[in-house]
Amino acid sequence: MSVHRSALAVYAVVLVVAFCGILLALFAYHGPDESSGRDYINRGVGDTGAVNLVSAIYLNYRLYDTLFEILVFSVAVLGVRFYLTDQRASDVVESVPESHVVRRSADLLFPLILIFAVYLVVFGHLSPGGGFSGGAVAGSGLLLCSVALGAGVVARRFHERVLERLEWTALLAILLLALLPLLAGRPALYDLLPRGTPGRVASGGSILLYNLLIGFKVFVGTWVIIHFFIRHRGEI
Amino acid sequence: MTQTALLLLLPVVAALTLCQRRRLIAVIGMGVFSLLLSAVYLLAAAPDVAVAEAAIGSALVTVIYVLAIRKTGRLVVVGCEVPGLLGREGKRVVGLEHDVLEGFARELGLDLYVQFVPRESIEPALLRGEADIAAGGLVKGDSAQELCTTPVHLPTAKFRIVMRKGAKPLAEFGGSRGYLSDIVEAVRHKQPLDVTLDLARFMTVSRQDLTGYEVERLPEESAYTFLVNPNRADLVSKLGAFLGKMQEKGELEAFIRRHMS
Repeated sequence: MSVHRSALAVYAVVLVVAFCGILLALFAYHGPDESSGRDYINRGVGDTGAVNLVSAIYLNYRLYDTLFEILVFSVAVLGVRFYLTDQRASDVVESVPESHVVRRSADLLFPLILIFAVYLVVFGHLSPGGGFSGGAVAGSGLLLCSVALGAGVVARRFHERVLERLEWTALLAILLLALLPLLAGRPALYDLLPRGTPGRVASGGSILLYNLLIGFKVFVGTWVIIHFFIRHRGEI
Repeated sequence: MTQTALLLLLPVVAALTLCQRRRLIAVIGMGVFSLLLSAVYLLAAAPDVAVAEAAIGSALVTVIYVLAIRKTGRLVVVGCEVPGLLGREGKRVVGLEHDVLEGFARELGLDLYVQFVPRESIEPALLRGEADIAAGGLVKGDSAQELCTTPVHLPTAKFRIVMRKGAKPLAEFGGSRGYLSDIVEAVRHKQPLDVTLDLARFMTVSRQDLTGYEVERLPEESAYTFLVNPNRADLVSKLGAFLGKMQEKGELEAFIRRHMS
């Protein structure tokens, strides 16, 4: 237990240091951006290559804000894990028998929900959606399964431990992606990838990559929060 | 136009949701509210917000609430199976105590959830907080001190069934421990036995051929009771009041006649 907790503490320290690094990099390279909303609308597609202007703003112009949103989410997940690890794990809620209809519909619906979530994430720069909504949709799908099958079964079936590792890897990848331009002699958060033809899936520079990583992070994070509450407190 | 209609519908749905007594329906009402709201966002040319509202407001939050009320919105009853009091008919739970508790759960706005366990697991389950109420032919005075009992609701009698010719007296049945089906099985195979049973269990066992067994009605007065989780002291007074009300209205008598005759 203590090993587990110290590992979590290391994660927390790494997070804080990494974000302080980004902060310093930004102050060193980036002055205040004074372009107005009209400018965004007129130049958005040309600047970023993303047809969906909302994505263009929160994953390109305002990526800095979005990184801190991800930080808030990660700290929330970390907090849940940190404070619930001490509580006795209970098996009370594990085996709630649900009717055949509910179980079968969850089995049938889950792949469809997952496909829709992937669509939202992958087409986030072209149409409404994006990493946050897509991740939340996939997370709700997993929760639907845990309502129908029991949280323990879902945790085993979806290899929770592996998923949790990958969640932190995704966070690390987002930070690296944000800092990578520094190596190329550009300001941090600068989009290195080509803009592409607006309207194609392969367009919008790094927005697609960010959406994929954020979508995965939100998906696993949602699940971790809920499952920790179920396992350690027996309730939400 | 459509937007105005949806906007007018929103407070109506909100009010209906707030008026619901059953939590599950209220949660579904909240999901409907979010879905309408996301339609409003869509018509207001904000499809990104609409997608987020639909995903989080009407899907994620609804599922989280459903998971939460599945635990807290239930009145969890543990008990052993006793035909007439707390029995099973296929997948349905039936019996006198079930009907009483079902009415009680409805009055509290909860869903009744019955879990069948062996007699000796009942008290530990209550003390661990895994259940709110224990039922299933529990006789007053048989259980641990720290568990609250509700006021008496049904008189019973104790019957002792004895056959001592074998060396093995099946002591594991001592009192009314174990599953009733084990005792019935023992009687069917004419195994030696020494058990004290309450009225409902005795009625079930007496459907078997009891020749060779000595049956004795113990003179002491006894009564069935419900046990309540010591952390849920509020339930003791509520259940007591509910039983009192049923007794006053004569509903308890009707239940007893329906199930025990």
